[in-house]
Parts: sequence; structure tokens; C-alpha cells
Amino acid sequence: MADAPDTRPMTLVQAVNDALDVALSQDPRVLLFGEDVGMGGVFRVSDGLQGKHGEARVFDTPLAEAGIVGYGIGLALAGMRPVAEIQFAGFLYPALDQVLSHLGRYRHRTRGRFTVPMVIRAPYGGGVHTPEQHADSPEAVLTQAPGVKVVIPSDPMRAKGLLLAAIEDPDPVFFLEAIKLYRSVKAEVPSGHYTLELGRARVARAGDAATLVTYGGMVEVCLKAAEVAAREGVELEVIDLETLAPFDAATVMASVEKTGRAVVVYEARKIGGFGAEVAARIAEETVWSLQAPVLRVAGWDAPYPPFSAIEHHYRPDARRVLEAVRKVLAA
Amino acid sequence: MIRDSQLFQPFNDEPISLIGETGAWEGPFDLDLDPAALRGMYHDLVVGRLMDERLSRLQRQGKVSFVAPSAGHEGAQVGLAHALERGRDWLFPYYRDTSLLLAFGLPQVEMLAQAMATRADPNRGRQMPSHNGSKDLNIFTIASPIASHVAPAVGAAISMKVQGTGQVAVASFGEGATSEGDFHAALNFAGAQGAPVVFFCENNRYAISVDYNHQTGADSIAAKAHAYGMPGYTVDGMDVLASYYVMREVIERVRNGLGPVLVETLVYRFGPHSSADDDSRYRPREEVEAWKRRDPLLRFRRFLEKQGLWDDAAEAHLRAEVEASLQAATAEAEAAGPIPVEWMFDDVFAQRLPHLEEQRHDLLD
Repeated sequence: MADAPDTRPMTLVQAVNDALDVALSQDPRVLLFGEDVGMGGVFRVSDGLQGKHGEARVFDTPLAEAGIVGYGIGLALAGMRPVAEIQFAGFLYPALDQVLSHLGRYRHRTRGRFTVPMVIRAPYGGGVHTPEQHADSPEAVLTQAPGVKVVIPSDPMRAKGLLLAAIEDPDPVFFLEAIKLYRSVKAEVPSGHYTLELGRARVARAGDAATLVTYGGMVEVCLKAAEVAAREGVELEVIDLETLAPFDAATVMASVEKTGRAVVVYEARKIGGFGAEVAARIAEETVWSLQAPVLRVAGWDAPYPPFSAIEHHYRPDARRVLEAVRKVLAA
Repeated sequence: MIRDSQLFQPFNDEPISLIGETGAWEGPFDLDLDPAALRGMYHDLVVGRLMDERLSRLQRQGKVSFVAPSAGHEGAQVGLAHALERGRDWLFPYYRDTSLLLAFGLPQVEMLAQAMATRADPNRGRQMPSHNGSKDLNIFTIASPIASHVAPAVGAAISMKVQGTGQVAVASFGEGATSEGDFHAALNFAGAQGAPVVFFCENNRYAISVDYNHQTGADSIAAKAHAYGMPGYTVDGMDVLASYYVMREVIERVRNGLGPVLVETLVYRFGPHSSADDDSRYRPREEVEAWKRRDPLLRFRRFLEKQGLWDDAAEAHLRAEVEASLQAATAEAEAAGPIPVEWMFDDVFAQRLPHLEEQRHDLLD
């Protein structure tokens, strides 16, 4: 960041837009496309980019997610740096054949002779009354695709640096953006080009009583829970995974070995969610440090509610996180 | 030159055919290929057929796990391969394209090494047999899920268009693939964006056991082109020259920036769907025998004989030469030895990642 000292306050939407603008400006191979991307996208993430960079580089595609991802794979194979937008992560499912059959297998299948340096961005998660599939969190499915990286930022500054790193990465990257964070927070974001390393978790708040392991839209929920706990003299450590695949187990284990207690927080359905992998790894690697069972706080194993009247009961909040914390502290 | 005007009209009712069943030239224009080019096509037909037979033999011997026989498809495939610029244009093939891949330049030893998963396979045994690919030759590596390669072909074509390279991408597939959603998405993208891509359907009337009439209500596969705003042609795929001349005209059109084309070749699969299939359960023997009488190799051999370019001695000589070449390639592929299991963990990502190194270590311990 040494070459980019200036900062501006930005929302996550603005930070992603800024990262895309930087990428389009510095590399002519970068192409940005998807449904309604030309006019700025339904969340206005690509606002102004078509006007600045032209219709040849920022453009609308036909309405077909399988086409968007498959087409992007071909673009990448033949020399471009495609950045595709899927309008909502819950609309990705028609493209799963492309994701599972080609996207992450291509390097391995061809011994690294063909590669797919492609980024697929999608808004995910609930919290702003986008009904049912518009609030899905399918990240665990994506981590099951070999050869694919999955990145989920938790604030504007990190979103920009991680997205630029994803676009420059030699492998395909899913970049999921929590809809809840799009406009709810403003933070200082450096101008110009900078990257943050993929595959590294970070300590978002230091503490010694218990570890909260989380990512994306749940980071602010966990930080809020940690603030409440701190008022009662309980210091929680919050680990923000940032990259789910490849998973930085070392950072998580170091924290759990220190605190002896872990709660994993994610908003996808509880069963088979990425938090289940985190809990399993803690059990495999640091079970002897544990002083309490590893608990999960997650979405319920029912579809995300399509009505805002009950939506807030689905998504984990600070109250549910603190209930789990009390249980592990009492054990 | 015949290239001054368009020889073939799209949405034709009768399949385009240039050689009659007796081997007589019936084209409405003068043949412009020299004897070496014509003999070269026959060579490639014979190589494809004999490789196909060899792969099936190796499968029965337990040396190959799987084969998708392509006998009966050679005419369509060799015609296409000869109309493309090798090393320049891109192929997005499917798993029944043995003759196409070999005629486009894939070395015999690579195909055999991949089928047997030996160290001579440049892709290190990471693809199933009949699912070849080649970076050197711009051949997209095949995956089994049907039609999953068609949208990538369109993306690659747009990349070529953006870069102004004048290259053409060709995606080949069976008629069953045209039922998939990805097929529709791909043709729709290509039509909307004017991609330099050719969609090449090898319609052999059966997707494993499901026949054409259970696959689609359309009169022809070529007719589907209409809805995507591109021309569609139906070609007699048992006639290598019909495939060659149609593809030559189509590829030139696409190279000149006139947008995508769908070509349907009518072929027949002489063997089962794969080494795991018994086609006698769903195809009457008389039907198979009737199509075998239309064998693309036989028809083209009769044509060459009528042109005074071929005889029994030439046939015996060619077959012996090709068998010797395939035998040498088989021996070379086998001698390289089987792939080691630890190769499985390479090339998952650009970097070697700790969790994969741990798993490699766990496996080898």
C-alpha cells in the first residue's frame, strides 16, 4: 500500500466498483460482463464502468448463468481475464455444471497447460429483505470444486484488495459479496492499486476467552457480540477467514489452542455448511486443547424465508452468538 | 475458384451429398483437390478406423478402461479436420471424435498413452480415455457432461474476435447434446454476439439408447439454427467430401466475420455407445447392417478407384503402413510405464498448497 497513501470513505459497493475500475484500467485483458452489468447491475456495483471503459469491455450478456460461466471459461482459456457477475449467488445453480465440470478442473486436467484465470462475483446472504433464493449462501458447494478459490470479504478496504488479488490470481476465484454489507458500512479505502493476499485468515479482534470463527457478512455480527461480551469482561477473539478455499487452518488452530473454546458462525444452512468443515478441522487438529465442545451458530436447515416478517429469525445475530458463547464458557 | 460464390444453401431439405453410393462424383461443381489431398483424406479415414478398432481391442485386453467407439463418424470428422487450419483454429470436441483429433494432428502415441494412462500421456493420466485435449493444437480437453464444452467454445471465439486473430472455434457434439440447457445458452450467446464459431453436430440418431424421435420434435437439428439467427446446414456425414466442402465454405464465412453457423452431419455409430454398452438391446441388426453398407471408408474408396487413384495394392500397402505405425505408437505408450499415484496432487492450483502436500504425504505413508 506504500504507493497508494490516499484514502477515501467508501461503501463495499463503491470499493468493489473501484477495484473493477482499477483492474480494467491497468489490464486490457480484463472484461466485465453479466446480466444488466452494462447499466450498472442490480446493486449498482458496475455503475459508470461501461461509460468509462466501453461496451467492448463492460457488457451485458444474454440471461443464462450457465452461458455466462461457460463463456467466461472459454474467454480465459483463449487469453482474456474475465470477471463475470452472477446477479445473486442463489441464481448460480444453472452454472454448476460449468463450475464443477470445467472451471476448477482445467489446470489439473491439462497439467497446467491450459488455465482459467477467471473471477466470478456474486452477491450472497441475507439481511436486507431480498427474498428466499436472493439471500442464499452457497459457498460450501463452491469449496467442493477442486482447483477453485473462494473468497468472501468482510469490509470495503479488504474487499478492494482481495478482489484485485483475485483478478490477478492464476486460478479461478469465486468472490462472494455479502449483500448486507454492500451499503451498511463506510470505511477508508486506499485509492489506486493494492492487493491483499488470498488464502490468509486474519484476527479481526484479539481476545482470550473463546474464539469466534466466521467470514463475510457474519464478521460484523461476531464483532458486535464480542463488544457486548467485553462489557461483561469477557474478551472474545474473532477470526475472519476471508478465504474459504484454500482454508488457512493454521491461524484458526493457533487461536483455538490459545482460548480452548470455539464457536463457528455462518449464515448458510447448518448441515454441511463451511462451518462444519471448520469444526471438523478443529476436532482433528486441536481437540486436546479444547475445554468445551465446538458449537456452530448458523442458518436453519430450512429454505431462507421469503418474507421479511420472519427473515431476522433465520440469519444468526449477536444474541444467538452470545448464547453459544455462554454455553462454551460454562462447559 | 469455387470460392467466389456460395455453393450451398442453408436449411436444405435433402442432406448435402457430393459422392454417390457407387463412388461417382455428383457435385454441382468441379472438384478442386489434387490427388495427394484426396489420398490424404483416405489415409486419415483409415487411421481413425484402425485406431478405433485398436482401442476396443486394448479395452477387451484390460489395458484401457473405457472406449467410445467412433466408427461410422469418420467421414464427417475427417472432412471437418481438413477444412480447418491446424495449429491456428480451435477445436472443442466431444468423446466420439477419434478421427477428428488424429486428422487435426493429435499424435497417435498421445491418444494411446492417455487411453492406457501411461507416463507418455502429456496430461498425466488425468482424463479418461476418449477425452483428449492438446494445448499445442488448441484442442479443448473433453469432459463427459454433455454439451458442457459448447459455451466455452463461444467464449474462446469471442476472445479471438476481440483480439482480431481471424481464428475460428469449432464445437462438435452428438444430437443428444442439443437437448441440454447449456447448448441453448451457448448458441444464443453466439448469435447475440456474432461469435466466430461453428457448431458441428454429429447426428448418429442415438444418445446411448434414446433415438432421435425421443430426443426432439424438430425435423432436423439444423432447423434449430433458425431461432438463434444463424444458418443451419444438413450434410451427409458418410460422405467425406460433402463434409469437407461444406465446412470449407462455412469456416471461410465465419472467418470473414459473418457470424456463427450450425452444421448437422448425418452419421451412424457402427459400434455400441461405449465399451460398457450393449447396443443390440435397442438397435435392430438390420438397421446397423444397412448403415454399414453406407460406410464412409467404402464410399470414398470407390470414389478414389473411379478417379483412377486407388487399387487393391494401394489399399493393402496403406493398411499395413497404418497398422505398423499404430503398433509402434502402442509399444511406445506402454513402454513409458504406468503413471504414479502422487501425480494426482499436482496442478490443482498454480501453487503447491499445504493441505494438498499433507494429503500427498498421508497417501504415500
